[in-house]
Amino acid sequence: MRDLHQCLSEGVPVLGDSHVSLTELAFFALAVIAVATGLLALLVRELVHTILWIGIFFVDLSAIYFLLEAPFLGVLQLGVYAGAVTILLLFGIMVTRKRIFSRDAATGVGALPIALAVVTFVFLIGALGQLPGAAVPAASYSVASLSTLLFNAEAPYLLLLGLVMLSALAGAIYLVREGRE
Amino acid sequence: MTTLPVGDFLALASGLVAISIFGILTRRNFILLLIALEIGMNAAILSFVYFAAFPQCVTAATCHPLTGQAIAVVVIGLAATEVAVGLAIVLALHRIRGTTNVAEANSLHL
Amino acid sequence: MLASLFGWAFLVPLLPALAFIVIGLFGPRLRRLEYGGWIAVGAAFVSMVLAVLIALGEMASPDTYTSLSYTWLSLPANPTFPYGFSLVIGTLVDPLSSLMLIVVTVVGFLVLLYSIGYMHHEHGLPRYYAELSLFLTAMIGLVLSNNLLEFFLFWELVGVCSYFLIGFFYEKPSAASAAKEAFLITRIGDILFLLGIFIFFYVYASDGPAGLHWASSGFLFAYGNVPFLAGSLGANTPLLTIAGLCILAGAAGKSAQFPLHVWLPDAMEGPTTVSALIHAATMVAAGVYLLAMTSIFLGFTPTDQLAIVAIGGFTTLFAATMAVVNTDIKRVIAYSTISQLGYMVLAVGAGFAMVGLYHLFTHAFFKALLFLAAGSVIHAIGTQDLFKMGGLKRHLRVTGAAFAIGGLALAGIPPFAGFWSKDDILSSVYSVTGSHPDYWPFLLMAMAAVFLTGYYIFRVWFLTFSGDRTRDPTLPTPHEGPWVMQVPLIILSGFAIGAGLLIFIPGFANLFLLPGGVTALGIPPTYGTTDILLSALGVALGGGGILTAWALWGNGRIFRLPEESVWNSARTVLVNRYYFKVAYDAVGARAVYSVARAADFVDQFVIDGTVRGIEQLFSRISDRMRRIQSGVVSDYAAYVVGGLLAVFVLLLLAGPYLVNRIGGG
Repeated sequence: MRDLHQCLSEGVPVLGDSHVSLTELAFFALAVIAVATGLLALLVRELVHTILWIGIFFVDLSAIYFLLEAPFLGVLQLGVYAGAVTILLLFGIMVTRKRIFSRDAATGVGALPIALAVVTFVFLIGALGQLPGAAVPAASYSVASLSTLLFNAEAPYLLLLGLVMLSALAGAIYLVREGRE
Repeated sequence: MTTLPVGDFLALASGLVAISIFGILTRRNFILLLIALEIGMNAAILSFVYFAAFPQCVTAATCHPLTGQAIAVVVIGLAATEVAVGLAIVLALHRIRGTTNVAEANSLHL
Repeated sequence: MLASLFGWAFLVPLLPALAFIVIGLFGPRLRRLEYGGWIAVGAAFVSMVLAVLIALGEMASPDTYTSLSYTWLSLPANPTFPYGFSLVIGTLVDPLSSLMLIVVTVVGFLVLLYSIGYMHHEHGLPRYYAELSLFLTAMIGLVLSNNLLEFFLFWELVGVCSYFLIGFFYEKPSAASAAKEAFLITRIGDILFLLGIFIFFYVYASDGPAGLHWASSGFLFAYGNVPFLAGSLGANTPLLTIAGLCILAGAAGKSAQFPLHVWLPDAMEGPTTVSALIHAATMVAAGVYLLAMTSIFLGFTPTDQLAIVAIGGFTTLFAATMAVVNTDIKRVIAYSTISQLGYMVLAVGAGFAMVGLYHLFTHAFFKALLFLAAGSVIHAIGTQDLFKMGGLKRHLRVTGAAFAIGGLALAGIPPFAGFWSKDDILSSVYSVTGSHPDYWPFLLMAMAAVFLTGYYIFRVWFLTFSGDRTRDPTLPTPHEGPWVMQVPLIILSGFAIGAGLLIFIPGFANLFLLPGGVTALGIPPTYGTTDILLSALGVALGGGGILTAWALWGNGRIFRLPEESVWNSARTVLVNRYYFKVAYDAVGARAVYSVARAADFVDQFVIDGTVRGIEQLFSRISDRMRRIQSGVVSDYAAYVVGGLLAVFVLLLLAGPYLVNRIGGG
């Protein structure tokens, strides 16, 4: 993988413009795919199709992590999201729908939600001024240092995470136990 | 050495958040609500990872360069947990009300 | 030696108060004591003895007075009251109050004794004796009070007792209504009285003649100081005039002078003994007493004096004309009371306060005598209508003689009591008409009333006692009352004969001399040539009235006006009391009621409307706000996003400021 990166470090001429590096091109393409699949996931009529699109979305994000020199997180994303969460959602859909391939109650889009979404988008874009103008090189680290950080300095948070997961497990079991009428 | 794109990234993250908000406000199916939430949370996690790659933190003494990724790890775990509990709620609701339409679960007395 | 009793003067009102409490608590169980009657009589007797002893002591030591007070509120000097402010309660034993004490306690005792017999067959006796004892307490307290506020307090208490006693037969609507009427009309006078007190206070509270700072002394009636008037006349005259008129209004209400006279004839709904005590001898005299006290201790401006003279003089004639045609024995005597009170007011207004009180002294006895005699008649034959009586002098010898003596005293025939005092009034007022020519009309009215007085009282005597008409067979055979009723009649007859002559005893005359160099004019009466001529004129008028009555009504004659006579319309007006009550009722019904309705409207629609409007406003607001909680998650999410955007906006606006504060991060 690293060799591939180094091979492609020179720019690839695109549309006769200034040199756009391959990573930037790749990032752009991945960003477009992410937005598209996210929208599609929310707008299609069939619930099962939603799962497909959201799965692609997660994989796409994992690719972005790899681009951002965070390989461990990329794999984590694949495992947790593209794997577990997608299957969980699929199970949820399977159990709770009344007929196969039916979809209940996606309401129309109103003006207010679109307005709120657009306004939020604009506000967040406004942070552009705080970021450095020129492209900066990405820093890369070894997984070992991440591991050291996680289990030494940030260990309490990891333990807390474990406890939260445990309580969530217990809670989920309690919520769906047989005795509920 | 890869270079970090700036404007593209910001547009991506903001766009994902906007999509997430849109989804939460308009979708009536509980599972779609969860999916919309996941999109938004992924946008946040993406931001953590992105800013972790900035070299600025390397020289500063106050932050560890990899803190962003560590946070991202923990948050991924939390988000997955939350999905699990949310699904448990969906199942309980479906069992009691027979529906997954959040608009019909509008009273405290189920 | 008797002077040592002055410190115990507070016992005099205290004993009837104790009787009131005892009778009030245990009355219904005291059947053998006439339901508390003998307790009341006993308390009144002891008070009378004590009062007579105090009066004797005062007679023996002229030119002295004793004022004892207990300060129950005291404020130190402050900017509003440079010399401080205090409220006191106490007793003042001076010639004036001793004189009044004799009147009140003697008549009170005799009336109570008489009631034992008169009220024997009535219901509710404990209430009666308790209320009478309370009244005695209040009246004695009023007489003994040594400051203006305490005076007002007892004044009000006397009015309350009058209300109770007039409405004693409260099941009768006319009695209840009469009690209410009496209280309301005297209330009008009382409010103005209080206003007068406030004005006096305002003028005199913080300054005043040297050495007297009225507020700091607690509004005392203090001798040894020139009446205020001499010191500060001129600057405050309009205010003082108004204050004096207010005091006159209060006195007119209590003493039933025009135009607040309407309640007294109706007050005859109460028992006759009540009329005798309250509405003849004591309570109505309180008004005259107030005027006398004010003229001695505070002072009236010349305008006030003219007003007082006018009201007094006019009322003598006004009431006498109404007495001439009345057919109820008690009401004739009631109008007579109003008329005689007019004489007293006339005297006080002309500046002869002690002469007015002299007439008050004699009048109390013979008027009480007349009322009790009338009560004896009513007790004997059971009706009050004059035209149902006749020929009673055979059956009721003592009563007939007593009534005749009272009538002669009232008409001013010597040597009976009324002659000396009424004559003194007329000659005293005559003596100042030189300097006050505007008193003349009222003096003439008073003299005309003398004629009418003789006429109407003997009209009553002849209708009741003389003649030989056939009796209404449904009425019981008349007979005299028990000894408890006859003894007071005999004693009062003695007073009616001799009270006037008492003033020629030097010791007794001391009661009419005020200490501190304030001379009492007209006491004892002097008899120069003009005076003797005036006296002869008065006697002639009175005797002429009696003879006219004999001519029209004596020996069983009934005088009727011919149908077409021009006097008939005048008679109708008189019988209807100059339509005063009708006018008052109309004013009350129209004017006062419409004001009340307007106030009710404001209360209901404006004030209540505002309150209800606010309530509904809040109710509607909360109803709207309740709908925020729709239960739909998406709505809540929308609120959250909205809040988030609000935070963004805030950060945008406050960003630079925050960055500066946090320190150029």
